[in-house]
Amino acid sequence: MVEKIVLVLTPVLAFFVGIFLVGFKRKMVARIHRRYGPPLHQPLLDIIKLLAKKENISHGVMFDLGPVIALGASILTVLFLPLPGFKLLTPYGDLIAFLYIMVIGSLGMALGAGESGNPNASIGIARALTLMLGYDLPFIIAGNTLILKYGTTSLFNLMNAQSNLHWNLFFLPLTAVAGFIATYGAMGEHPFDVVVAPQEVATGPMVEYGGKHLGMLMIDHAMHVYIETALFVTLFLGGASNIWIFILKQLGVVIVMTLVDTVLPRFRIENAVRYFWRWPTIFALLGLFIVYLGG
Amino acid sequence: MNFSINLSLLTILLTPFFGGLLSYAGSALHRYVRNIFYIIFLALPFLELYPYFNNSVDFMPYATVFGYNLFLGINALSFTLLLLFTLMFFLAGIFLLFEFANKDESDLAVLEFMFLEGSVFGVLLAKDILTFFIFFELIAVFTYFLIQKGYSGSSKASVKYISWALIGANFLLAAIILLFTKVHNFGYTEIAAFLGNASPTFVVLVFAFFLIGILIEATIMPFHVWAPSAYSEAPDSVSVILSTVVKKTAIYILVVLAFSLFGLNLFLKIMPAVFNNSIVMYILQWMSALTIIIGTFIAIREEDAKSLLAWSSIAQSGYIVLGISLGTSLGVSGGLLHLINHSIFKGILFFVVGGVIYRTGTKKLSELGGLIKKMPVSFISMLIAIIALAGIPPLNGFSSKYLIYEALIEKKEPILLTIALLGGTGSFLYVYRLIHSTFLGQLSDKYTDVKEVPLLMQLPMLVLSILAILFGIFPSIPMNFVSKAVSYLGFEPIKYYLTGFPTQPGLHEVNILKISSTLIIGFVVSLLIFLLLPKAKRVDQLDNYYAGEKLVKETKYNYSFGFYSFFDDVLGSFSHLSIDKIYSNVEGLFKNVGDYLRKFYTGNLETYISYGVVAIVIFALIYVLGGVLW
Repeated sequence: MVEKIVLVLTPVLAFFVGIFLVGFKRKMVARIHRRYGPPLHQPLLDIIKLLAKKENISHGVMFDLGPVIALGASILTVLFLPLPGFKLLTPYGDLIAFLYIMVIGSLGMALGAGESGNPNASIGIARALTLMLGYDLPFIIAGNTLILKYGTTSLFNLMNAQSNLHWNLFFLPLTAVAGFIATYGAMGEHPFDVVVAPQEVATGPMVEYGGKHLGMLMIDHAMHVYIETALFVTLFLGGASNIWIFILKQLGVVIVMTLVDTVLPRFRIENAVRYFWRWPTIFALLGLFIVYLGG
Repeated sequence: MNFSINLSLLTILLTPFFGGLLSYAGSALHRYVRNIFYIIFLALPFLELYPYFNNSVDFMPYATVFGYNLFLGINALSFTLLLLFTLMFFLAGIFLLFEFANKDESDLAVLEFMFLEGSVFGVLLAKDILTFFIFFELIAVFTYFLIQKGYSGSSKASVKYISWALIGANFLLAAIILLFTKVHNFGYTEIAAFLGNASPTFVVLVFAFFLIGILIEATIMPFHVWAPSAYSEAPDSVSVILSTVVKKTAIYILVVLAFSLFGLNLFLKIMPAVFNNSIVMYILQWMSALTIIIGTFIAIREEDAKSLLAWSSIAQSGYIVLGISLGTSLGVSGGLLHLINHSIFKGILFFVVGGVIYRTGTKKLSELGGLIKKMPVSFISMLIAIIALAGIPPLNGFSSKYLIYEALIEKKEPILLTIALLGGTGSFLYVYRLIHSTFLGQLSDKYTDVKEVPLLMQLPMLVLSILAILFGIFPSIPMNFVSKAVSYLGFEPIKYYLTGFPTQPGLHEVNILKISSTLIIGFVVSLLIFLLLPKAKRVDQLDNYYAGEKLVKETKYNYSFGFYSFFDDVLGSFSHLSIDKIYSNVEGLFKNVGDYLRKFYTGNLETYISYGVVAIVIFALIYVLGGVLW
């Protein structure tokens, strides 16, 4: 019974944690810029404002379904990550399945943006997918290293194997660094924010979205922040024994990311992909090699 | 052994040939007579196959050549593929009628199409290498004729195809002659018994010859060069058959050879092992891994819808052969499951693209766009197919790719796994490009009157789409066949339940029904949020934000050409590498040698006579001088 209640509440939790992380990031960026910054709950207010808009525009059925599929898929994705103390749906799918489940939302979003007929949106998606090919390579190698080392593909077992400070960050530092850079790229932070790039493609895939569509996309974005950071915490920072430590670790990841994000300019897309295929991939391959020889 | 004469096997084999002749004769009366015969005989094998659902026939002698018996047989593996191919021929056959409706050569196309089906059946039913060889080459011949009836570049493509098919045929023939001189029998069992005790060099040589002949048809690199042009220039219904049947027939032969005729134990016995694989299988694994990644990267950069599908098909055959060449129960199951699943979703993609070409007359991606409102059924079918192709749950591509990945993990092959997974991400790029450039983006003014394809043409897409969904959520349906085939090949079949696979050695549990039902719940929740909020107003496609620029009908921006052009920069100088160029260099060498030889072979009678005179003089001198000197 408790499991079922947790199952229903986890997406809600993920949303609020994500909103908190997004709000925290905005505040932190402002402080680095020596501004005061908006209040912590500003993203929540933004979403409420957008959802309450009376006038919305639509370019067709797929355009409407884009945000709907993205959000629905995020709800699914959250449930395939282990929460401290709860397996949720992880017994029914492992890391490989998770990688593919994560893609459903992006596909919905891409289809929706594609139907708007705005070339900026199409360019944004072409960039997003190319970038994905970039950061996936180091991430896949890092994931394979973990699978090879622990002999399991279950996310829950991978998390439990790191209990008592046996974090992969300490024991597989090269792999963890590669995984971090890949996660960082997946979050689209500077210098990898080629997808949104307001000065070049006018926020890319989101260019035509406004009103309730954009509001739902922001909910989806908050959940995505939760998913990416939670995956990194699960795979490399040893998960957590209770939810508060888990959130604290996610916050730590966001703080490190923001420190880098705030001070960097933007790569061009081909340089970004080439970067992913060079440094993090070399780190990941070295890590894999060490585990292969050692295990 | 069961040696009884079983006429119904022969009936299955002859049905398409007979049907082809009958429909060709019927065309003399009227087009409808032809079509009725054609459809009936395309559907007939379903009925004839039904008795073999749980029965197999080991050996049925049907003819005697030089005193040696030739055999037919059917087993779980070939039954599964016969059923699948009958379905694909039936659906593609309907499509073919529309495609050739207004062409003169339609009668001939119908005849060749039926004959091609018969040849495929012959390969699947064959139980001796002579029958196999004859029908395998007949496939090449009829495919050659059918490719010729396609688009403008088809005559060149078909010549390229038949040249490669002949190279393959020569290798196969060499292998068969080598075997026959030693075994003096054609039957599979006799050959298998002989090979068990043959000398290692002989076994390796014969297997390598067989392999080259087969890999050419299976489009594994570096033997794939005929495929891109042939797939994209052939008529659409023939492209479907090339990708879903002809290629799979070659992979079937590979499976039979590797596990039944030669056997993994034989390989391990006679050659060094590399990472727990015999070296032949290891090379095959790397060839298929390279096929995956190179095929995917080239597909990303394609501008032509059918070329894109051709390269995608090449890449996907890499997955199938990779799974099979792992030689484990998990790998072979995954490979065979992917064989079935790939036929289904690639069939949909070729049908949809064929339908779009049927309505718009172009296969250039940059000339299409925005057709979603005009052809919604095609759009939904293609959406299902691309989700399946990208391996995203809950559609059918997921379960088979999942098995292949887990098999790679079980074998501890992290590099091959990385390549396979990256190929999966890459496939996401090109399938999105395909659906975006055809159905999304802006609708061109040319296509404002375009309609959805006729109902009968939608039938193939819809049937296969339903199968893609069914096989996706209930992988037990195809696994039912696959596990029988796998146990026929001598592996222990993997466990599965109705909607997924339980935890077992080398495999983590995956329950696709849980994934899909959760997805649906999430979808319904967010749809409710969406519907409860104020309704959206529909606007025109030009009512867009362009950063201050005013857009009019005449100057539309549709981002379609060079969709991933920056990907070329990423690859840099690698993007110029091409196996084709290596082969053209070889071709150039032959041309040079030929030019050189042509200086002697001038075609002039007087030159030849003078050569003869010179030769006689030389021989006479040798004769005379020989008498003096010795």
